[in-house]
Amino acid sequence: MKNDALKEMAGLCAKCGTCRTVCTLYPHRKTENAAARGKVLILESALSGENADPSAVQEAMADCLLCGRCERICPNLVLYEEIVMKARADLADEVGVPAWKSVLFGKVMPSDPAMRVLRKAGAAAERLFLKKVPTGSGLHYRFPLGFLGGGRTVPKLPAKGFIESLGKREGSFGEAMLFVGCVFDHLYPDVGRAAYETMKASGKAVSVFRGAACCGLPALVSGDRKSALENIEANLRRLREAAPPAIVFPCGSCLLMFKRNIPMLFPEGTPPHEDAAFVAGRSTDYASFILDSGVVDRLPDPPPAERPGEIGYHDSCHLTGTLGKGPEARRVLEKAVGGAFREMEGADLCCGYGGTFNIRDYPTSARIGENKVSVAARGGTRIISAACSGCVLQMRDMAARTDPSLRVVHIAELVRRALS
Amino acid sequence: METSALSALGELLGKRLHTSLETRTCYAIDATRKKFLPDAVAFPENAEEVRRIVGLANLHRFPVVPRGAGTGFSGGSLPVHGGLVLSLERMDRILAIDAANLYAVVEPGVVTGTLKDAVRKAGLFYPPDPASLNFSTVGGNIAECAGGMCAVKYGVTRDYVLALEAVLGTGELVRTGVITMKGVVGYDLTRMLVGSEGTLGIVTKATLRLIPHPETVTTLLALFPDNRRSADAVNAIVAARVTPSAMEMMDRTAIDCVRETIPVDLPEGTRSALLIEVDGGELSAARDADRLEEACRSCGAIEVRRASDARGRDELWKLRRSISPALRRVGAVKMNEDVVVPRSRLADMFDFLADLSARKRVTIVNFGHAGDGNVHVNIMISGTDLEEYRRAEEAVEEVFRGTLAFGGTITGEHGVGIVKAPFLEMEVGPAGVSVMKRLKECFDPNGILNPGKIFMEEKAGPA
Repeated sequence: MKNDALKEMAGLCAKCGTCRTVCTLYPHRKTENAAARGKVLILESALSGENADPSAVQEAMADCLLCGRCERICPNLVLYEEIVMKARADLADEVGVPAWKSVLFGKVMPSDPAMRVLRKAGAAAERLFLKKVPTGSGLHYRFPLGFLGGGRTVPKLPAKGFIESLGKREGSFGEAMLFVGCVFDHLYPDVGRAAYETMKASGKAVSVFRGAACCGLPALVSGDRKSALENIEANLRRLREAAPPAIVFPCGSCLLMFKRNIPMLFPEGTPPHEDAAFVAGRSTDYASFILDSGVVDRLPDPPPAERPGEIGYHDSCHLTGTLGKGPEARRVLEKAVGGAFREMEGADLCCGYGGTFNIRDYPTSARIGENKVSVAARGGTRIISAACSGCVLQMRDMAARTDPSLRVVHIAELVRRALS
Repeated sequence: METSALSALGELLGKRLHTSLETRTCYAIDATRKKFLPDAVAFPENAEEVRRIVGLANLHRFPVVPRGAGTGFSGGSLPVHGGLVLSLERMDRILAIDAANLYAVVEPGVVTGTLKDAVRKAGLFYPPDPASLNFSTVGGNIAECAGGMCAVKYGVTRDYVLALEAVLGTGELVRTGVITMKGVVGYDLTRMLVGSEGTLGIVTKATLRLIPHPETVTTLLALFPDNRRSADAVNAIVAARVTPSAMEMMDRTAIDCVRETIPVDLPEGTRSALLIEVDGGELSAARDADRLEEACRSCGAIEVRRASDARGRDELWKLRRSISPALRRVGAVKMNEDVVVPRSRLADMFDFLADLSARKRVTIVNFGHAGDGNVHVNIMISGTDLEEYRRAEEAVEEVFRGTLAFGGTITGEHGVGIVKAPFLEMEVGPAGVSVMKRLKECFDPNGILNPGKIFMEEKAGPA
């Protein structure tokens, strides 16, 4: 393994160990290998030729949720998240990515028709093979023990995705365009619809980015640079052409991808970097749009809360931790639900999803997630709101595992309730 | 290590013995960034396992290197002769907090900050506060006798260790000290073990003294035109009969580094700063803060800022906390020393360091715990220029010689480890080294515990 730029980035780590205090994974592994300092050491040993087993190094780099907490606390400002992502990409070039990932990221996720087929096939399969479980946030199915992690619940797949349900109406790109993302399009279309309808309450011409490819984050963090680039380039080209004044993301991870990760992939001064910067400049999170476009001002005063303090807000690692977008959602909630909103215990704890980490090591992902929702519930929260698709997916699963009466919603659903 | 030793360890520990290159790599370093690969890493979960591991080490004659969080600056937890790194991070339970008798019983892997938070909830205070408190462990702090910001008023780790349970190099489990306020039974083995850097025994349980938590804390940031005036202020504060709970000094290079990195609002002409804290009851802390402010102004402070609420105090600490990341601007490699001089010689020490920096043509950034005369001397170099590295090494030796000439000591809180081993005799003399070596033989006759530390060894060298 050789990469001088990566070696230089890793070399900035002072090996002080500060990262151990905030690492989401360290308390569950209790070995240095889990934390950023250990990862950098393993990587440096590979880059220096001391460790000549790229598969073992790839395995070590995969064991990370990319929550970015280490990066934010590092006194030496080392970009650990970027280091791990770059290392994963280099190692994937060297030893490849698992076949299922390259098919999913390279063939299925860039294609809207393929995603629809996958969802429909999944809907048929879940009725046949999985067990129904009623939960606070709607009907879920549970995987049988041992398959993809014992006790995992998945949403009941809808007959139609959000965009598909809009029919063939096609307007201009308008003043604000919703990039709904795979999860809120195919798994939770009602969240996509809530975001769309509440954005329209701004009075602006709102459109939906139809036929969008996946934002590319799952492929990128798995090191599958080729698939990621295919998705990214398709999206960038269309967004640059359409040039909507605002591109709104109900998912913090998709937003992080467009705001930070995609511009980082292309050298400055090149046309793709200019396109990426152009799109990044117009990309915004859902709550900021609701605030800035005046929707919040149109919300009626919330009724006195029946259960004061029952609604909390979860700070997703990407949206709040990395992009610093946390106060906006709180301001929206204060207006939308009034006294029902209260700062939640453990609001900034990672939910443990970590994208592909949830598939790689579901038992650990679940332990982190169960702790997250349990801490919130112990503090009195009954409805956890969030603004990131992975977090919603994970926390709904965790609520079903720990306390079926606990509900997990997207903030757009609460805004829609207030508007109605 | 022999295969038979590894098999025996494997039988004892199962999956808690790691031999993969990846894990060994992770346990090959500490904050010195020096690297020595161990042959294996063990994660014991109780004292009996530690005792049996040391038993196997005596049988098979392999080195055992105890390790907390690997945050040390002197190489104390580096496996310089390979062997087994014995990580105590899974022995991390707080076993008791006794508010009536003011002590806590903990396992060595408890993170110091976690303990401080836990006792705080009971209205109590465990004062030792090394800068690494949020990630270093109590066991590591005991091994190195860690200090911290508040040593000026409250002392260091040694002053809070009442009793220990430890496995000696012989494999014997000993219980030292008392849990009472007084106790003079025989030799003070507890003090012997504190600061012994894991060369005499491995701590498996510690009983720590607690005190009532102070009611309030007030922070002051005093800005001066030069180091001599802030050093004078340190002495004026002592003369004013006030004992601050922290007194941190930052020199011109440190301030300039921060200024280049983040926007900090400092008046023109600021070349030195003192960050001071006083704690106690509300009235006494306010009175002490007034006296401190007066002392600083009388010594020529350009400005003195003051805060008692958490947010305001955080703002004042920003300058001090920003130094570490800012240092990267002046050199990729940091040689970090922690010398101590008598408080009255601080100004002379800063003059000496400024002269040394000019003579050796290396950037030296100084900050630290001025209240107790503990200066963190950071020699910053590129790490790629061999000639510069040689000059920096010469400067390090001169720092030690200068410190001793002022009546100081070469390490206040980092320990000797491997970094200062070549200079041990310079401070304690041949007779001092000799008696220390004889003590080591008594506790660890086969020399299996953390070999290559404290004492000079010809063989030690990077892997």
